[in-house]
Amino acid sequence: MNTNGNFYTIIYSTIIVVLVAAILAYASLALKPKQDANVKAETISQMLTAAKYFDKATLEAMGNDKILEEYVKDINKALIINAEGEVIDSLDKAKSEIYTESKLKAQNNLMKSGKKEDLRLPVFIFGKGGKQVIVIPCYGTGLWGPVWGYLAFADDMKTFVGAYFDHESETPGLGAKIKDDPSFRAEFEGKTADFSSSRIFSIVKGGAPAGQANAIDAITGATMTSRGLNAAIEQWLEFYKPYFTAAKPAEKAAADSCAKAATDSLAKAAIDSTAVITE
Amino acid sequence: MDPIFKGNPITVLVLGICSSLAVTVQMKGAFVMGLSVMIVTGLSSFVVSMMRNSIPNRIRIIVQLVVVSLMVILVDQLLKAYSYGIEKQLSVYVGLIITNCIVMGRIEAFGLANKPIPSLLDGLANGAGYAMILIVVAFFREILGSGTLFGMRIIPQSFYDAGYMNNGLVILPPMALILIGCIIWIQRSIQKDLQEK
Repeated sequence: MNTNGNFYTIIYSTIIVVLVAAILAYASLALKPKQDANVKAETISQMLTAAKYFDKATLEAMGNDKILEEYVKDINKALIINAEGEVIDSLDKAKSEIYTESKLKAQNNLMKSGKKEDLRLPVFIFGKGGKQVIVIPCYGTGLWGPVWGYLAFADDMKTFVGAYFDHESETPGLGAKIKDDPSFRAEFEGKTADFSSSRIFSIVKGGAPAGQANAIDAITGATMTSRGLNAAIEQWLEFYKPYFTAAKPAEKAAADSCAKAATDSLAKAAIDSTAVITE
Repeated sequence: MDPIFKGNPITVLVLGICSSLAVTVQMKGAFVMGLSVMIVTGLSSFVVSMMRNSIPNRIRIIVQLVVVSLMVILVDQLLKAYSYGIEKQLSVYVGLIITNCIVMGRIEAFGLANKPIPSLLDGLANGAGYAMILIVVAFFREILGSGTLFGMRIIPQSFYDAGYMNNGLVILPPMALILIGCIIWIQRSIQKDLQEK
């Protein structure tokens, strides 16, 4: 048979391509559930790392099932809020429903296109060991591709407990440090997000000024990644601001009344003691 | 046995340098990458060799490419499903096996002209040669750069307390190139017939 004829060549290539496409489609469909489970466990382990419950390496050694178990055990509430900061829905805890990267991307697109009313932002409230930790995601663009991550706040709604970031294709050794370098993540600990300022949080090239609580140092040699990550954090915190600031007054009121009660009783005790003396 | 030492694809043919610089920071990554390349070169040589009499000569490179990509994507999907952590670490380099010259080179040079079983063995052996160099380089890079092997601590803590520090330079790609250079040097001094006059 003449294997160099035009007709033969066209038929041959068509058959090969269709065959290969069929095999790949089958493989993709068959492996999808397993891959999704991996992505989910990875996302949860990133949140748990941000909340400082575990070391990332420990979680990786635990395996998917145990990570899901840990999540169900540690989570208090998983809420969905709108751009006004009102709770509109909640995620199924038992099924450990979460927001993976693709879902964050969809939310990010809504933010960018100005469709604020369609936003459904997740808030994860963990309560391991009686201490509340609020974890929220962020998503943006780095130098080569998307960067995203999780920010964990203490229950005063502004102090960072920790953070964890991931990226698709930042430069290894430079931009990839947002994920690989634990000392970059550690910079977040104890810093605060200042919701009353025009710049809620900043990553400063050349080093954050000493004593500024809402800024950290950028990564040397990764200016664009640092800048992109900063934009992502600021943008997302801006959209979470109503929720965070709304939650604050109630707590502050509680704290105030508590303090008032304390001073009252102190004053009363003082009066009592003077009374005793005069007697 | 030829491709493993005497005709090693990295040190003698100097192919596949790019990925061998990138994935040799840790043993685990190097091991999985080596295994993946072995499977891809072996199977695609095998498949192409089975089809060798029917492939139209004018589109043979494209057909080879399709077969190789099929294998690479399958390996990538399997890694994603069963070894997610490593897949993340290897990231784009699994996909880049497609462009690894070893794979296409072996198919062109051997698979197209030989029977399936010898082609399979040829592919596997070349993959193994590649894997071996990867593992040797990764061994030095991981132990000098991180003080670990397969993620297990090898250099005891007391060394660090005494002032020993991991060599950050070894983690970076240039050092891998130097290491590969050293391996090529050693091999050439053993195998005199490789030396150019």
